[in-house]
Amino acid sequence: MKQRSHASLLAWGTLILVAGVLLPLAVRQYQLAILTEIIIFALFAVSYNLLLGYAGLLSFGHAMFFGTGAYTVAIVINHIPSLSFFGAVILSLSVTTITGLVVGSFLLRHKGTPFALLTLAFNALFYAIATKWHSITGGDDGLSIFRPDINIGFAQLSTSSIPAFYYITFIIIGLVMLFSWYFTRTAMGQTVLLMRENEERMKFLGYNTNVSRLILFVFTGFLAGLAGIFYALFFQFTSITAISIDMSTIVLLMVIIGGTGSFVGPIIGACVYIYLQDFLSDITDRWPFIMGLIFIFMILYVPKGLSGLIYSLIERLRGRRHLSRKVEIAE
Amino acid sequence: MGEIPVFFLHGLVYAGLLFLVSSGLTLVFGMMNVLNLAHAAFYMLGAYFSYSVLNITGHFYLCLIICPLFLFILGMLVERFLLRRVHVYGHVQELLITFGVAYIITESVKWIWGNYPLGVNLSGFLTGSVNLFGLFYPVYRLFMFFCAVFISLIMAMVLYKTKIGIIVRASVDDTEMVNALGVNVPVVFTAVFGFGAALSGFAGVIAGPLLTTYPGMAAEILVDAFVVIVIGGMGSLGGAIVASLMIGELQSFGALLFPKLSLALMYMLMAAVLIIRPSGLFGEEQ
Repeated sequence: MKQRSHASLLAWGTLILVAGVLLPLAVRQYQLAILTEIIIFALFAVSYNLLLGYAGLLSFGHAMFFGTGAYTVAIVINHIPSLSFFGAVILSLSVTTITGLVVGSFLLRHKGTPFALLTLAFNALFYAIATKWHSITGGDDGLSIFRPDINIGFAQLSTSSIPAFYYITFIIIGLVMLFSWYFTRTAMGQTVLLMRENEERMKFLGYNTNVSRLILFVFTGFLAGLAGIFYALFFQFTSITAISIDMSTIVLLMVIIGGTGSFVGPIIGACVYIYLQDFLSDITDRWPFIMGLIFIFMILYVPKGLSGLIYSLIERLRGRRHLSRKVEIAE
Repeated sequence: MGEIPVFFLHGLVYAGLLFLVSSGLTLVFGMMNVLNLAHAAFYMLGAYFSYSVLNITGHFYLCLIICPLFLFILGMLVERFLLRRVHVYGHVQELLITFGVAYIITESVKWIWGNYPLGVNLSGFLTGSVNLFGLFYPVYRLFMFFCAVFISLIMAMVLYKTKIGIIVRASVDDTEMVNALGVNVPVVFTAVFGFGAALSGFAGVIAGPLLTTYPGMAAEILVDAFVVIVIGGMGSLGGAIVASLMIGELQSFGALLFPKLSLALMYMLMAAVLIIRPSGLFGEEQ
């Protein structure tokens, strides 16, 4: 059984890799740009789901990390001349991680509803700073940046074309995504999952649940920050949208549409959301309203999201009813 | 230093408004353990409805009655048909559904009334100023403050002097016990939720003419109201009064003394309270 799942994972991995590498040859620039955006938002959604799905912490302020990443990368590129691509990314990531640590140590004294409320308040604070601190953040005007080239010793890689940036995004975010998947399988990742189920018991077993939660929180901030950095680099622009509560809303919608129960759920959600937005915004200006209706519908009737729907469909097709029951218990 | 009394009064007026919004929020939270994220959306709806009712009928006083009534019904519908359905799935789903309602209300408002600020024009004696011990102060702000005090007094009367009030207060303390004693708690929940929405809508109606009516007004007051109930302690009405006064005066004097820092002051106060007393000034220790 285990052998088989490994084989299928490997098959899926190879498929995604081949498709990811070959796609730029097959599709138009516009489609490729959307694909890049999907990859970026998929990472953002995955990081959010580590909080909501794995740790059971509902946050309305995940955009603070996304926005911090987006703003710091724009600020460091504009203010430090001849900064390399990876230099900018690493510098911004460390800022985001520290932010996560500071905010987390404040917020994680709370759980459940007070936690959700405080994330919202903190997001509002970050938003207020971004709009008011005009000299640094550009206020409502935002910041424009140029993507620095990648220097690999003997050659310069230009990042300015859409396919080039797509490959960079695909490779870096793909690796990070793989790592976060691996993270959920480690003892640390499993601790978080078990904490959600029964924190008291984990405490009695000798786990320091507060430290585990803080590590997870900082890790999700790190991932969201990376997504924000790529978002800013992709659009070559950072605006207050990146740090607004609207951005926190978007990631929440993605995760709810995709489903919180599995690792791939948010990725599916990001795909569906971006394509749906692309499709709906052509038809009507009222697409956020339709998104809201979909959101309520999902919560009322499809609480496990699209990924839950797909899983149960697969199980039904295979006729393995006993397995689906097992999954339910595990969740 | 002639500004100090004026800013003090401004702070009081805003505190009154904040209390109207946060009292409903904290009551619903204390009772149902649900933080209603749609609460500020009800406030915004109140302001927009009053804009339309005022345009149609021309009577502002009519808005003060019709709009809260409408929101009372809307609130009860939301509780009965959306919130109660997800109750079994737990708090996260409850929060999410109220979030979805807030989102849809905001988008509908943009759709129906447009994504730009609307001005509510009053007429009659409300637009004038009054001489308060040599200080000219707008009548409308005083009117807002007295409305807030009046509503709060009625609420206090109902909560502390009537049987309904006893049931509500008891439900805040221990819902299961009240249920076991034969009170139809789900009906009480629906009514309190609707009442909270009506209160929030009322605040919206009186806020409309002073603060601009625009689609971002919900998010603005939501954060302030959240800060109020975090500082005051979630579920505590007394805490909501004290914290509303603190935030109202802080914002007012903050705007006078440190215009650039006025927003940060509020968060600094919240952070300080969270460090010293994580459950809020009047909240129960967990």
